[in-house]
Amino acid sequence: MNYETLDISGDAGIRASGGSLREAFEAAATGMYSLITDPDGVQEYRTIEVAARGESLEGLLVSFLNELVFHFDAYGFIGKRVDIKQMEMENTGRGSLKADVYGEQFDPVRHSRGLLIKAATYHGLVVEKKDGLWSLDVIFDI
Amino acid sequence: MAVQTLRRIDEFRIEIPETYAPGMKVPGLIYLDSALGAGLEERAIRQVANVAMLPGIIKASLAMPDIHMGYGFAIGGVAAFGQEDGVISPGGVGYDINCGVRLLRSGLKADTVVPRLRELLGVLYNEVPSGVGSKGKLRLEAGELEKVMSMGARWAAGKGMGGASDLERTESGGMMEGADPSLVSLKARERGHSQIGSLGSGNHFLEIQKVDEIYDEKSAARLGLFKGQVTVMIHTGSRGFGHQVCTDFLEVMERAVKKYGIVLPDRELACAPINSKEARDYLGAMRAAANYAWANRHAIMHWTREAFMKVLGVGPKDLGMEMVYDVAHNVAKMEEHLVEGRKMKLAVHRKGATRAFPPGHPELPAIYKETGQPVLVPGDMGRASFVLLGTQKAMEETWGSTCHGAGRLLSRHEAIRRARGRSIYRELEDRGIIVMSAGKQTLAEEMPDAYKDISNVVDVVHRAGLSTKVARLVPMGVVKG
Repeated sequence: MNYETLDISGDAGIRASGGSLREAFEAAATGMYSLITDPDGVQEYRTIEVAARGESLEGLLVSFLNELVFHFDAYGFIGKRVDIKQMEMENTGRGSLKADVYGEQFDPVRHSRGLLIKAATYHGLVVEKKDGLWSLDVIFDI
Repeated sequence: MAVQTLRRIDEFRIEIPETYAPGMKVPGLIYLDSALGAGLEERAIRQVANVAMLPGIIKASLAMPDIHMGYGFAIGGVAAFGQEDGVISPGGVGYDINCGVRLLRSGLKADTVVPRLRELLGVLYNEVPSGVGSKGKLRLEAGELEKVMSMGARWAAGKGMGGASDLERTESGGMMEGADPSLVSLKARERGHSQIGSLGSGNHFLEIQKVDEIYDEKSAARLGLFKGQVTVMIHTGSRGFGHQVCTDFLEVMERAVKKYGIVLPDRELACAPINSKEARDYLGAMRAAANYAWANRHAIMHWTREAFMKVLGVGPKDLGMEMVYDVAHNVAKMEEHLVEGRKMKLAVHRKGATRAFPPGHPELPAIYKETGQPVLVPGDMGRASFVLLGTQKAMEETWGSTCHGAGRLLSRHEAIRRARGRSIYRELEDRGIIVMSAGKQTLAEEMPDAYKDISNVVDVVHRAGLSTKVARLVPMGVVKG
């Protein structure tokens, strides 16, 4: 997957990229999961469907990642692979998406314990297209 | 944006003049001595300046000596807003609403606990859930989360956890008035439901400590502290419940910013006028999260007492594990303060800052009316934590606020890099500190070298008169998430 971790004072971030916005969003999501646990230890046993909306592209990204944070924190669902099935951006700048997330129930015994993510933030958020490649920076509150 | 544009006012204060950045309504004021000032991050300075641009901010955008970069507000930030033209900003509270510290004293001397320390920590580690993906130990029945949200620690006390004297020794009596559960989203409830009664991860901890230095004998005696005594410190907050409330309301505030035409230098400062529906709604939900946190710390305190009694085979009387105090260091409160000689009700935001009310303040419980409010400042797991008291000077200069902790020095990544090839666990054990941690990574990230030396931070607030040192507590055993 196309992501790397960003070194931020006190917290952690992800830089994700993709040929399309959809791919970059998927990479950001899997990158975020990699902060929580080692993705190699996660199996694709279950699928959940998530939806997100945002007032802007940045807002959509934050809201999407926070939806995944919610599913982990409330229900213990840890994802391995993300498939954004539908993504729409309106002329007003608003956007929405629907995604399937493949993963399983987090098990503190079997899965390594990385960072506890409180939320994806707007801090230092970057969504940009350079030379045909989308690049996203997201910083998480830990 | 050169650092030389900052002006050192005196030994303890640096001013960010209004000319530092366009749009600043008041100056910024950072409490720092020159030693700590050397490590001041440019981006944290900018954040203090950004807060100075918010509508209705009064006097100055303040920061305590444990300042470091946060989201929107810097960590260590304090700002007060007037009721007429001010704002409420979730970014001025933070994601972990009512993250705070609770200190328990005991009738035990450290040397009597040392032989049983490992066993004691093992029981605490099992009894108090911690770490990534852990669930809380309390099972809430239908409708009970509502009570947690509106009653806070009083709910826990009603369930047989702790007593009346514990509530009296908790900021706001462990229950913030004006909490409105109907404003809390289903998502926050879902996150909160499974996590109540858990420590969390990151910098949260449960620590068995020993009082190793007394600076003010008289006050220490009033607080029931003596040299060589065992104390327990609990540092945690409102868990996923509070994080979700913050996430939810940042979205609400983002819309409010457009609606009210507020110009912001940073999205994480999203806010709404104090008298708007959005601000009232946030405060109602924030107070529910604050209450959740107090219930959480109350439950953890209860299990701590049980663990001590079980392992040491003593009853509650011999254990003598009474609360010293419980402070919230991430919260917004409506408080009365003097502004140019006039009494005003202000919305005081403390984000990584501790309230430090002086002797005689009407909000203090009878037992602390003469001493002033106990201030609890946790350090890293290898060095020390401090007990201080609030002062009149803090009331006059910082809206009755002081520092909240050591403040990070190294990024998590850098800490892990420097911990490579070392056993932090062993290093601490060599210093007589036993650590139990759910995650290896957390231990490296939270190692002592990752933090500023708490003693330097506390010395600044002590010498600047924002709070006075009473006692130093050193760690004996630590449970980390």
